[in-house]
Amino acid sequence: MALVARDGSIDWLCLPDLDSPSVFASLDPDRGGRFRLAPEEPYAIERRYVPQTNVLETTFRTGGGAARVTDALLLPTNGLAPTRELARRVEGLSGSVPMRWSVEPRFDYARARTRIARRGELPVASAGRDALAVCSWEAGKPQDGDGTISARFAAEVGREALIDVTVAHGDALVLPPREEVERRLRGTVDFWRSWVRRREYNGPWRDSVIRSALALKLLIFAPSGGIAAAATTSLPETLGGERNWDYRFSWVRDASAALDALLRLGCPAEVEAFFWWLLHASQLTHPRLNVLYRLNGRARVEEEMLSLEGYGGSGPVRVGNLAAEQLQLDVYGHLLQTAWLYCGAGGGLSGDTGRRVAETADLVCRIWSSPDSGIWEVRSEPRHFTQSKMMCWIALDRAVRLAKKGQIPDRNADRWRREADEIARFVGERCWSPQRRSFLRFPGADEVDASLLLPAMLAYGGDAERERLAATVDRVRAELAEGALLYRYRGEDGLRGAEGGFLACSFWLVDALAQLGRVEEAVAMMEDLLPLANDVGLYAEEIDPDSGEFLGNFPQGLVHLALVNAAVTVAERGR
Amino acid sequence: MTLWGALAGGFVGTLVLTTGMRLGTELKLTRIDLPFLLGTAFTADRTRARALGYGLHFVAGLAFASLYYAVFRSIDEASWWLGALFGLVHALFAGTALVNVLLPLFHPRMATIFSAADTTPLLEPPGFLLLNYGTGTPLVMIAVHLIYGAIVGEFVALSG
Repeated sequence: MALVARDGSIDWLCLPDLDSPSVFASLDPDRGGRFRLAPEEPYAIERRYVPQTNVLETTFRTGGGAARVTDALLLPTNGLAPTRELARRVEGLSGSVPMRWSVEPRFDYARARTRIARRGELPVASAGRDALAVCSWEAGKPQDGDGTISARFAAEVGREALIDVTVAHGDALVLPPREEVERRLRGTVDFWRSWVRRREYNGPWRDSVIRSALALKLLIFAPSGGIAAAATTSLPETLGGERNWDYRFSWVRDASAALDALLRLGCPAEVEAFFWWLLHASQLTHPRLNVLYRLNGRARVEEEMLSLEGYGGSGPVRVGNLAAEQLQLDVYGHLLQTAWLYCGAGGGLSGDTGRRVAETADLVCRIWSSPDSGIWEVRSEPRHFTQSKMMCWIALDRAVRLAKKGQIPDRNADRWRREADEIARFVGERCWSPQRRSFLRFPGADEVDASLLLPAMLAYGGDAERERLAATVDRVRAELAEGALLYRYRGEDGLRGAEGGFLACSFWLVDALAQLGRVEEAVAMMEDLLPLANDVGLYAEEIDPDSGEFLGNFPQGLVHLALVNAAVTVAERGR
Repeated sequence: MTLWGALAGGFVGTLVLTTGMRLGTELKLTRIDLPFLLGTAFTADRTRARALGYGLHFVAGLAFASLYYAVFRSIDEASWWLGALFGLVHALFAGTALVNVLLPLFHPRMATIFSAADTTPLLEPPGFLLLNYGTGTPLVMIAVHLIYGAIVGEFVALSG
């Protein structure tokens, strides 16, 4: 996934894969690398996606004319094509627009020494086993110097310039003819339109839901089916703060929402791939679950700091994520809920898989009473987070249901029931505050937590808890909402600084309200949240309630998953 | 000293050579992929090209081992260090004449400084000593060919 800024600069691109080191990373404006393409005179811009696709169109209007830039990461075709390819086509719409482009590749997060050389007339940048060639047609004569390949040309009516960056990783570069690049660009547009046509959602806010589906599809690592939480690392949750994390991994906590959304959008191939990726990845740590896994399914994730400056000077820039080693009990609830959804949609568990799922439920019986770091991966001391306990109850409840359906062995089902009752007793006695009429963040806390919306959405405790969960939803809204935005919590988490409104939680509130039958409130809140997307319908992790600026990594899969699920729930309950 | 010994050495040597080159890529020293280069002479399909290229590379490995054997026979001496010396010559030949002069003659998808990708996609040419595929490429090539030659030489010497 390449991120294109509003000035036409490609500010973020990792190669060859989403979780590979960056080649463009304007997290450090001086050293990180980027691909600029813009008029040389003052301009105004309009942006949109080519309808129903992930192909971006940016129209630059200057005093002298207008030009349209079409940006796409091209899908490979059969035959000898680059495995990764970025195309930028410039069409003159009116008058004459002087354009300048410059490619500043900086491989391996700018740690590698990038060499620029020529193959005949063609500029090629390389470092180690990575290389890129900048092929261009009618886009000026490329010059190179200071680690930059650049050119100038005039965008005029009737002329189309094309710049194509082809990438090689551990093999020779493929240098395509223009005709093939154009054909792949058309093929890429056709692919996305065809993919969108197969999606089943026809409810309200369809444009936003489809845009979210398209964004999620970009976050899916095609070779494995794993879904990245976001495309970036270390976009700060607080400008100038230390809350900068690498999200280019797949979180188990997102699994049930992901499977739910993919099912509701009618994506059977993606459901199948993701579910089996999850089971394959978790096999490596069975019966324990890691908080997150690499997109290729590997369990080992280290964390290191880069010497890049960071967005807006917000260091450190981290790659890897230490949260992988935390104990987070809620992940077990998400895994079992995912299995339950998968089986409910007609999928089946093999004998071996069913046995593993049952062993995971057995593990939950042994560890649910341990303190953990909670869904938000706090870096303070582990606690008995209420939401973690509730998700353990969900895990055991779903295990009992799966056993009843014959999907997993039932020899320990009685124990799962007993332990689920024990959890419910713990939560009821220690995590509920009669004075505040709400479940609390943890026993003895003086605050609530937006993660408590999730058990409400998953019907924690069945009908017996419906009333208390409804009251908790109201309390969460009263204490954590600021306009349409919801904070995750207000208390400490072991880190300095505050953060913005957490968009996934805001959409969870929409979902929870709709599930409680309060559809009008849910609709009103949804209508407030949708305009907060950027100009092309994408969301970051958080929004600063004061400035409206995005905070955190981008685009954020969990937010788009929550948006899809909230829209579908509202559509279902509103009928 | 037997031809079978040379062929066995050629097989093992090519196995080690191919693995060593892959290791060089993983160590970020080079991005040369000889099976891919060879295979794309016959097919544009990446997967098939690699599979075919591996096969061709093994055939080439056996052919070169046979050539080594012929020279060993003619001088009536074979040893690992003599094989390694042949390997050095072999590497220099491969990195200069073979891939830059001979390969483009029959490879329909290999770019040269005289060609342009006007109608069909072309592969980036290897350049002198394969330097286009990374500055570490000559070292990797020489190292793996030294090992290849040493293995062939030792196998021939041991074959009696």
